[in-house]
Amino acid sequence: MKHFFDVVIIGAGPAGLCAGNILGNAGKKTLIIERDPFLGGQLLKQTHMFFGSRDQYAGTRGLDIAKIFQNELNSYPNVSVFTDTTATGYYPEEKILLAMKDEKELYEISFDQIIIATGASEKSLLFENNDLPGIFGAGAVQTLMNMYGVLPGTEIIMVGSGNIGLIVSYQLLQAGANVKCIIDAAPHIGGYFVHAAKIRRMGVPIYTQHTIHRAIGKTTLEAVELVKVDNSWKKISDSVFTESCDVLCLAVGLVPMSELLWQMGCDMNFVPELGGSVPARNQWMETSVRGVFVAGDVAGVEEASSAMLEGTIAAIGALKNLGSWNAAIEKKCVHSLEYLKEIRYGPVGEKIRSGLAKVEAR
Amino acid sequence: MKNKAQVVIIGGGVIGCAIAYELAKRKVKDIVLLEKNSLASGATGRCGAGVRQQWGTEMNLKLSIGSVKRFEILQEELEYPYDLEFEQTGYFMPAYTEKQVEQFKINIALQRQFGLDVQWVQPDEARSIVPIINTHGLLAATFHQKDGHLNPFHVNFAYARAAQRLGVDIHCHTKVLGISTEKDSIKKVSTDKGDIACEIVVNAAGGWSQSIGEMVGINIPTYSERHQILITEPYEPLFKPMVMSFYHNFYTQQEPNGAIIMGIGDPNEMKGYNMEHSLAFAKKCSSLVTRVLPPLKNARMIRQWSGLYNMSPDKTPIIGEASTLNGFYMACGFSGHGFMIAPMTSVLIAQMITKEELDIPEVKTKLDLDRFERGELFIEPSVV
Repeated sequence: MKHFFDVVIIGAGPAGLCAGNILGNAGKKTLIIERDPFLGGQLLKQTHMFFGSRDQYAGTRGLDIAKIFQNELNSYPNVSVFTDTTATGYYPEEKILLAMKDEKELYEISFDQIIIATGASEKSLLFENNDLPGIFGAGAVQTLMNMYGVLPGTEIIMVGSGNIGLIVSYQLLQAGANVKCIIDAAPHIGGYFVHAAKIRRMGVPIYTQHTIHRAIGKTTLEAVELVKVDNSWKKISDSVFTESCDVLCLAVGLVPMSELLWQMGCDMNFVPELGGSVPARNQWMETSVRGVFVAGDVAGVEEASSAMLEGTIAAIGALKNLGSWNAAIEKKCVHSLEYLKEIRYGPVGEKIRSGLAKVEAR
Repeated sequence: MKNKAQVVIIGGGVIGCAIAYELAKRKVKDIVLLEKNSLASGATGRCGAGVRQQWGTEMNLKLSIGSVKRFEILQEELEYPYDLEFEQTGYFMPAYTEKQVEQFKINIALQRQFGLDVQWVQPDEARSIVPIINTHGLLAATFHQKDGHLNPFHVNFAYARAAQRLGVDIHCHTKVLGISTEKDSIKKVSTDKGDIACEIVVNAAGGWSQSIGEMVGINIPTYSERHQILITEPYEPLFKPMVMSFYHNFYTQQEPNGAIIMGIGDPNEMKGYNMEHSLAFAKKCSSLVTRVLPPLKNARMIRQWSGLYNMSPDKTPIIGEASTLNGFYMACGFSGHGFMIAPMTSVLIAQMITKEELDIPEVKTKLDLDRFERGELFIEPSVV
C-alpha cells in the first residue's frame, strides 16, 4: 500500500506525541508510526509523578500524561496513527520509508518531512550465563510490573545505580519484592541523591565498585556471583561472593536507536555523554539532511520532559520547512527553546550540555 | 611509511592481500600494500561469498579448480587462528530452457574432462538436493558438491596477516593520488601520506581499477556496476547448496548460521560508484527467489547492501602486465567473480613478477589487456 503524508513521525513516545499534536493543530496531513500496540512509549511505564514546572505536567503520572496527549491527538482528523507498525527501513534512492504492520501488511510511505523519535534501547552486560531466564533489562521489568501487573520475581538484584536502577528498585519494593542490593561498577552512585536516599532508608544496600561475575542456574536464574572492581575497573579475583536471587535486573544505560538516521545519511557523531551515536542538528532539531528531524532519546539519551520539548521544536521546524510559519507558532517555539534551556541548567544538566555542545550547529 | 619499495600493491581486498602474500612467500622483499579505506571494505566484504567450479571454459575451470585446491589448505598454510568457514555444500544450477539444457550438457562434458564430479539432475531428483525447490518448469539442473562458500572477511584477513608476518607493510586509509612514470617504466607512487619510489605496481583496486589505469595513461576498459544483495534472519536448515539460476538471474544460499543471502543480476544495474540500496531491488529479488524457493516467502529480510562489480567488456578478468608500461600489473575486471578465483589469480601474478613459470601459461596471451584491442574477447557462456 502506498501513502503520502506532509510529515511522518516515527515513535509515539513523549517526543513523537508532542510533535503529532503540534502538526495536528496546524492542520498538516501527519502520520505517527508506533511499533507497540499503545501510544505513549516509556510514559506508560512511568507510574510516578513528574516534577518541575506545571507547564510540563508536574504532579501528573507519566501514564496519565500519555492519555492527555492521546486525547488531544484524537481530536485531529488530519493525524493518522499506525500502531503495531514497525518502520523497517528507509530507501534514499526512492525516498520511501518501508513499514510493516502486524508482520502482515507492508506500507510504502513517502513524505515531505520526517521526525525520527525512535527513542533508545537498553544496553546489556557481558557475563557468563547472561541469557538465563530471570535476567531482565530494567525496561522489561517496568513493562511487566507497571503495564501488565506482573511481578517478575521476589528476590531481586539490581545492576546499576543510575536513576532508572534506583526508581525501578523502589517500584519493586512497593510491589512487595525484596531488593537484596543494588550494585554499580562506578565508585559513586549515578542517580539523584533523593532517589538513592529513599532506597537506603528502606534498608537496601548499594554496593559501588561491584560488578557481576557470572550468573548461576540450571533452567532459570538461582544466584549470581558478584565481584569487587578496583580503581581501574578490573575485577579483584579473590573478592567473589554469591547472592541467591531469582531476578537480576540490568539498568546499565540506554543507547539511541539511530538506525534510520544512518540509513538516511545524516551526519552522525559518537558522543558518550548522549549515550552513543547521535546526529548533528540545528536549533530546530533538523539533522544534516534537510527535512529529517530528531526528537527525544534518539537525539541524545535524556528524559521525558526534554523529549516533549524537542518533539514540539522539531514539529515547528517541520512546519517552517512546509512554509506554515506564523506568530502563534513562533511564540510557542521561543517558549519551548527557553524552557529546554532551563531544564538543562545547573550541575545536573552539565553532562547533557557538554554532549550537546559537540553536535549542535552554531 | 617507507619511501622505497620493490612492489606497491594498490587495493586491500582479497586480490591485493593474496598477491602480497604470494609475493612475500616467494621471498620478494619490500612489499607495500595501500588501501584507501579498510581491508575488505570494497567488493570482498560485500560479496555473496560463493565459490564455484562449474564453468564453461578451460580457462575458468583451471582458475577455479586451482583456487578451490588452495582454499582447501589455506587456513593451515596461512596459520590463521580462525575458521575460514569453507563449506563445500555445492552449487545447484537449474536450467529452464532447451538452450540452457544444451549449454549445460556441453559444460558438464568439459567439467568432467577436468575431473569434476558434476551431477546431471532430473527434475524429479531436484528435491533430494534442494528440498524446498519448486520444480515447475524445471527441465534439468547440474550439481557439483565440491563448490561452496567461505567467509570472505576471514579469507581477506588471513591473507593480510600472513603477508604482514612475512614482512609486507599494509597501509590502510592511504589513498593513491598518482603514479609517476618515465618512458616505459614506473618511478614512484604518490599517496596522501607520502611518496614511494618503486618500479613495480599491482593494480588490484577492484571497482576503482580504471582510475588507477588513468594515472599511468593506460586505458583499462573496465567500469563499475552496482550489485545489490540482501540477507534474512537465521532459519533452521532449509537447503544447503548455492542455488544459481541463469534463467531468473539470481543466486541464493543459506549461510552456516542459518541466514539466507540472495542477489540478482539486473540488466538495468546502475553504472558508476553508487553503493546505495533500493527498494526496487528488494522487491524484485525476493519475488524471483521465492518463485523458485516458495517457503522463503515467509523469511524476514533484515539487511541489504550493495557493492561494485568491476566489469570488463567480456566479463572476464584482466590478469597480466601491461605491454606499454614495464612493471604495471593488473588484476582487475573480475566482473563479480574475483573472490572465488583470488587464490589462483594471486599465484599467477606472483609468478609473473618473479619470472617463474606460470601454473596456467595461457593466461599471458588470453587474459591480457591487449586482447580487447586485438578483438579477441574471451567468451564464457556460464555467467549471470
